[in-house]
Amino acid sequence: MGAAMSEPILVMNKVGKAYSAAVPILRDVSFSQAPGEFVAVVGPSGCGKTTMLRCIAALMQPDQGEVLHLGQQFGDPPPWLSIVFQDYNRSLFPWLSVRQNVGFGLRKIDRRERDERVEQALSAVNLTHAADLYPWQLSGGMQQRCALARSIVVRPQLLLLDEPFASVDAQTRIDLQDMVMDICKKMSLSTLLVTHDIDEAVFMADKVVVLSTRPAQVVEQIEIDLPHPRDQLTTKESPEFLRLRHRVYTLVRHQAQKSAAAHTEREDQ
Amino acid sequence: MEGARVTFRSDTVDAPAPNILTWLFRRVGSLNELLKISPRLGVLVKGAAGVAGAILIWELIRALRIVDPRDLPAFLAIFRTALQGLWGGELAVAIVATIGSWAPGLFIAAVLGVAAGIALALMPRLEVATRPLLEFLRPIPSVALIPVALLVLGIGLQMQLFMIAFASIWPVLFSTKAGVESVDPRFLETGRVLGLGKAARMARIVLPSTLPFVATGLRTASAIALVLAITVEMLTGRPGIGFYIENVRLNGLITEMWAAILVTGVLGYLVNALFMALERIALPWSPENRER
Amino acid sequence: MNANRRHIASLAWQAGTIVLLLTVWQWAALTYPAPYLPALENIATGFLRLWHGDLLFSAIVPSMTRLAIGFVIAVVVGSVAGLTLGYLRNLDPWVRPVFEYLRFIPAVAILPAALLLFGPTDTMRIFVIAFGSVFPVLLAATDGARRVEPLLLEVARVERLSIPERLFRVILPASLPSIFAGVRIALSIALVMMVISELIAADNGLGFYILRNQRLFQTANVYAGVLAIGTIGLALTLALLAVEKRVLAWHRGWRGLPGADG
Ligand SMILES: Nc1ncnc2c1ncn2[C@@H]1O[C@H](COP(=O)(O)OP(=O)(O)OP(=O)(O)O)[C@@H](O)[C@H]1O
Ligand SMILES: [Mg+2]
Repeated sequence: MGAAMSEPILVMNKVGKAYSAAVPILRDVSFSQAPGEFVAVVGPSGCGKTTMLRCIAALMQPDQGEVLHLGQQFGDPPPWLSIVFQDYNRSLFPWLSVRQNVGFGLRKIDRRERDERVEQALSAVNLTHAADLYPWQLSGGMQQRCALARSIVVRPQLLLLDEPFASVDAQTRIDLQDMVMDICKKMSLSTLLVTHDIDEAVFMADKVVVLSTRPAQVVEQIEIDLPHPRDQLTTKESPEFLRLRHRVYTLVRHQAQKSAAAHTEREDQ
Repeated sequence: MEGARVTFRSDTVDAPAPNILTWLFRRVGSLNELLKISPRLGVLVKGAAGVAGAILIWELIRALRIVDPRDLPAFLAIFRTALQGLWGGELAVAIVATIGSWAPGLFIAAVLGVAAGIALALMPRLEVATRPLLEFLRPIPSVALIPVALLVLGIGLQMQLFMIAFASIWPVLFSTKAGVESVDPRFLETGRVLGLGKAARMARIVLPSTLPFVATGLRTASAIALVLAITVEMLTGRPGIGFYIENVRLNGLITEMWAAILVTGVLGYLVNALFMALERIALPWSPENRER
Repeated sequence: MNANRRHIASLAWQAGTIVLLLTVWQWAALTYPAPYLPALENIATGFLRLWHGDLLFSAIVPSMTRLAIGFVIAVVVGSVAGLTLGYLRNLDPWVRPVFEYLRFIPAVAILPAALLLFGPTDTMRIFVIAFGSVFPVLLAATDGARRVEPLLLEVARVERLSIPERLFRVILPASLPSIFAGVRIALSIALVMMVISELIAADNGLGFYILRNQRLFQTANVYAGVLAIGTIGLALTLALLAVEKRVLAWHRGWRGLPGADG
């Protein structure tokens, strides 16, 4: 029992991936995630974060290394995995209502339970009032919540979130952060969050993985030992938070500078 | 473990449950990998294999006697008969006759259709007044009018041309109208700013930007005109491929009938290809050609 | 207010044209009696007679039955085959040349062959109707399935849908707008093939009715038959549009949203 508990839900072991031989996207990406852990991945734009998530979700197979889910490799998405895509608005079925979208992945269970779980998920993301609308009638933040509800309704153990709060306003973003942290804690989910926002990463995660510019490598893994539950004001004002934020920020800025230098170099040639 | 992980070119092909369907598609997938070495050659080889497969199915139907083999001659025999018929045989004469009524009929439809389309688009009053008539005539399947045309015009070239033109005028008319109506108003404003008169705007802006629509309409019309030409030949015995097919069938010349059908398919294909090629040459800037 | 007045004016114009045309026809029929110019009342009587009694069951019902069966076969076969082909792109180069050839055969040309294989039976007529109208549906479905948003297919993979489930729950609904466009074309072709098959070999149906009356010089009935076919075509098209409007309500709303596709 104890041994099974401590087995990581996800292990990335020297994962490499290239769309074409000349341009490697991922190189030797290694890290692991314990059950119930909240991991945030930060990295410069275009470095290959989405590519990494697609490898993790087994939507793509890595060229080198291995992705292990509970010690196993998968050719197709493992049943306990769920993902919210970066282009969430394109990932919602335009012909299904919000309620039907959320219930999309629930099959082979009886209707009563199905309806119940959909309602639960909808109220967890605060969308009950919009359940009968089509997704394209919703605002960006609501679409985002709809996609989130769809991925938690199947009760996954590992939830992948690809820049889920990138295109919403600041207030909505804060609300969504609290909501996601709350849901993940309640469902004791292991969550892997990809984000650009350093505050967000430090605020939400138990561990921050910093990626380098392309080809992406893990620059550093930083344990975030801020106490739970976290609060938008008190946590973000605590000296410990500021210290961690400073550290992550320095690492990321360093990567960004390297990226800019690489660009000018290329232009010089 | 390692062997079970197969990487695919298109990852949408993977399936979760290994059923027969999945297995089949994975096979196709890996064959694809082999043929990827030279994509052009691959497409050619696969296409040829598909055609060979179709012929094989044909022969299989014969061999298993699903259909009386006397009604379904060997493909090779049909092919040979088709070639003989085309090489100075009756089939060639029939095709020439069909084209002889198809082309003028289509020409009449094109001229009248373009003129009417432009007129309707430019004169809203006329369009409103004639709308009930057009909406009434359009859904009538033109072949149903063949008996009527027989009554009024009798059997003859005149009647055949009328039927071909009547049936194929609609796509030309409606796409021309749509073309004129969808001319970007900014183009017309540009024309006015540059001092073009009404006639000049018509000739130099409206007409050219309508041409791609006309071309699409014409391509549709060309296929309809062919169907009508053949139908009229079958029904009234006017010389042509339609009459030929029906005639050889009535005389029990089964191989000749299949050969003629084979050739008719090629004719249909070529007619379409001809109009596609014309479009590409005459209108290289048309949106349809730009996409490719 | 202004728009309303314009609407009334255009209705008046349209009514005017119709009345004018009918008057000219009737005047010509009375002044220059000719077999091909029957009086309007005779056409109307013939038309009305078609919709009840013997003629309903010997002309309209057989035609409609064959049309319905052939058309439904074409829609189902065309959709399933087209969606499969569009989804499994790998299959496409193998079958494309054959389909490209088959779809350009003028469908009438197949009629004598069908007559040879099936004899002058309903099977023959249904086959011809289905063969003629299957290709627009097939091509539209292929096209639709090929354009399905790839992200939706990935959602289906993450939710572990099997291939049939993906076809029915993702690819079919996503392709429906395209399929409906093909079905509309198919309907008009099916009508044409129905008439042709009845003109060439039948002993009932509307095509047969028209042809027989033409041979008997009952011209008013010929016109009545043509009118009936036109009416049926119009009614079916309107019905199809109504179904489409309901089924694709989401599509219009979705497309109406600016930037929804990007
Ligand atoms: N299907 C593909 N084929 C070829 N190249 C691709 C493909 N998808 C992504 N890339 C390239 O791989 C690189 C990494 O893409 P990816 O989407 O993983 O980056 P990202 O870190 O998620 O970026 P962002 O922060 O903007 O979301 C980019 O340079 C992109 O151009
Ligand atoms: Mg990304």
